[in-house]
Amino acid sequence: MSAAQAQQKICSEWNPVNKNEHKGIWVYVEYVNGVIKDGSLQLIGKARELASKINTDVTAIMLGSNLGDVVKEPIYYGADRVIYVDHPALAKYVPHIYANVIVQLANKYKPEIILFAATKRGRELAPYVANSLRTGITADCTELDVDPKTRDLDQVRPTYGGNILAHIRTPTRRPQLASVRPNVFPTPPRDTSRKGEIIAETIDSIPNINGQGLIEVRPVVKGEELPPVEKADIVVVAGRGVGSADGVKLLTELARLLGGTIGGTKKVVDAGWLPADRQVGQTGKTIRPTLYIGVGVSGAIQHVFGMKESKVIVAINSDPNAPIFQYADYGIVGDYRDVVKELIELLRNYKK
Amino acid sequence: MSGLTIIVPVKAAVPNVTAVRLDPVTHNLVREGVPLMLNPYDRNALEFALRLKDRYGGKVITLSMAPPSGKDFLESTIGMGADEAYLITDRAFAGADTLATSYTVARSIQRLFPNFDLIVFGEETTDSTTAHMPAQVASWLSLPFVYYAVDAEVKLEDRLIVVTRYLEDEGVYETYEYKMPIIISVYKNSNPPRDISLVRKVEAKLNGLVKVVDNNTLKLERECIGLRGSPTIVAKIEDAKPIERKKQIFKGDPKEAAKWLLDNLTKEGVIRP
Ligand SMILES: Cc1cc2nc3c(=O)[nH]c(=O)nc-3n(C[C@H](O)[C@H](O)[C@H](O)COP(=O)(O)OP(=O)(O)OC[C@H]3O[C@@H](n4cnc5c(N)ncnc54)[C@H](O)[C@@H]3O)c2cc1C
Repeated sequence: MSAAQAQQKICSEWNPVNKNEHKGIWVYVEYVNGVIKDGSLQLIGKARELASKINTDVTAIMLGSNLGDVVKEPIYYGADRVIYVDHPALAKYVPHIYANVIVQLANKYKPEIILFAATKRGRELAPYVANSLRTGITADCTELDVDPKTRDLDQVRPTYGGNILAHIRTPTRRPQLASVRPNVFPTPPRDTSRKGEIIAETIDSIPNINGQGLIEVRPVVKGEELPPVEKADIVVVAGRGVGSADGVKLLTELARLLGGTIGGTKKVVDAGWLPADRQVGQTGKTIRPTLYIGVGVSGAIQHVFGMKESKVIVAINSDPNAPIFQYADYGIVGDYRDVVKELIELLRNYKK
Repeated sequence: MSGLTIIVPVKAAVPNVTAVRLDPVTHNLVREGVPLMLNPYDRNALEFALRLKDRYGGKVITLSMAPPSGKDFLESTIGMGADEAYLITDRAFAGADTLATSYTVARSIQRLFPNFDLIVFGEETTDSTTAHMPAQVASWLSLPFVYYAVDAEVKLEDRLIVVTRYLEDEGVYETYEYKMPIIISVYKNSNPPRDISLVRKVEAKLNGLVKVVDNNTLKLERECIGLRGSPTIVAKIEDAKPIERKKQIFKGDPKEAAKWLLDNLTKEGVIRP
């Protein structure tokens, strides 16, 4: 600790931190209802890259009950070590219980960085963990880097609608916490020949649930069978310019013929033409498909925020000055009804 | 059996996030001259709270840590139906990151309303979109918390609450039961808010219904609030650099346009007709 740091008075509710005691990068690997979240695996890949810059290793954290062989998965994706807690009280996900267990582990092992996938559950857990460790957290980072000298995590986050990037640091506290949206980083390949250390950890005390906690889980029954937007390689996105729910139907047909899926802008979701879980953008989902086709989408910054990492971007819009063309590899200026009809026709003929 | 005491912390958000200016030196938001409004998702939270009050009785209190100009949007919350509104304001709170803000909000609630049953937040704010506050406040108060609530039922005699929440990315509803007090954040696509009554809002203004509380009253430790209570710093800001795109544009016959597009996409290897 530097003299300046030692002298600076800190909040009496904060614990003193000795930065040198904190080593290693952790990834919280979210495992619910029998599935490991892709977003967590993607962070293992990123954590590897960061770890090599500061000469440390990558630990995955898993919680649950009767976990079995699934605890080996993080190793296959690049982790050096897995620390897991297997306890009947963790059979059901209860936010403050899960968060509390992660806090206990962090207090014991003292990592320098903890990364969370910014899934809905991750966004719920991470701030509680950070706050309980009296440290900072940055939500929804789109890039992470680490300073080899200070070992400070450079947490890059778009802010104020996405046209400004803020670089955030936590220079005096450890660990440093950040969340990253799913699909910002690629999923590393699964290699079952990789070996690593697996540690079964026990915890001192599970906090009171204060009630029964989780009492019911009810999946929404989905009528249509197209995959979710964040899972598909090809995403056709309907904008307000498609004019009606029938317009969305036409695009769904196009998506089906391409072997992709359908998504929408906020305006289309607000109009009730598509469910909220198909919204792409800052307040919807971030996607990085190999092909994005925006139809009747103007290209507002909040929308672009969620699709700009797509490999190839196509825009179909009647307004030659629509901002979406600035983000497109291929643009067609015209009435979407004519163009999409022709596309559907051509694709049907290819199929024959 | 008394009704519920529900606190709804709200934020003054910047309405048009894309027109925002940052101070080039401090990297803080330039708030002067920027009109503030009630964060839209906080209205869904207030609606959630008002529905509980309608069903089970009690009162709904809004609270905001904001500059003195925050009075106006707190009057809007009274216009929407809140019984009381508190503006937590002091120069000493300036420059707070989410940890220091959550500390100020959590400790203010503890001092002012020690017997609350629920704290109900909006899912996130439209200008900073972190969704940190509910969980951070829960951590300061060591309380259970649940995000993305769409509905709740209360068993007053047992002080129990049953909360149903929606996880958009999994397409799953979950129901939790807790002993109150707990902390909730409300799913932003639920509980469409009722209108703000202008009459009530004007009454709130004329009668000075928004109560102002500063740190002389709260006596929060200097090291825990504002800039000094904030572990994160904005080290640098820059303009987001877009990926270079080909920007090839086709104008003309739709049939040819369709053929041109599919040929190019096949060449790119992104479709396999
Ligand atoms: C805090 C905040 C968060 C937001 N989050 C999101 C988000 O997550 N996702 C999101 O998408 N938006 C979001 N928005 C909204 C965003 O600002 C835009 O309003 C929205 O993306 C515009 O949707 P659109 O492109 O469908 O509609 P519009 O902007 O109305 O554009 C319609 C387009 O269709 C074209 N068009 C019309 N007729 C035809 C035709 N016959 N053929 C071809 N083209 C035609 C028009 O030229 C126009 O360009 C957010 C806004 C705010 C303030």
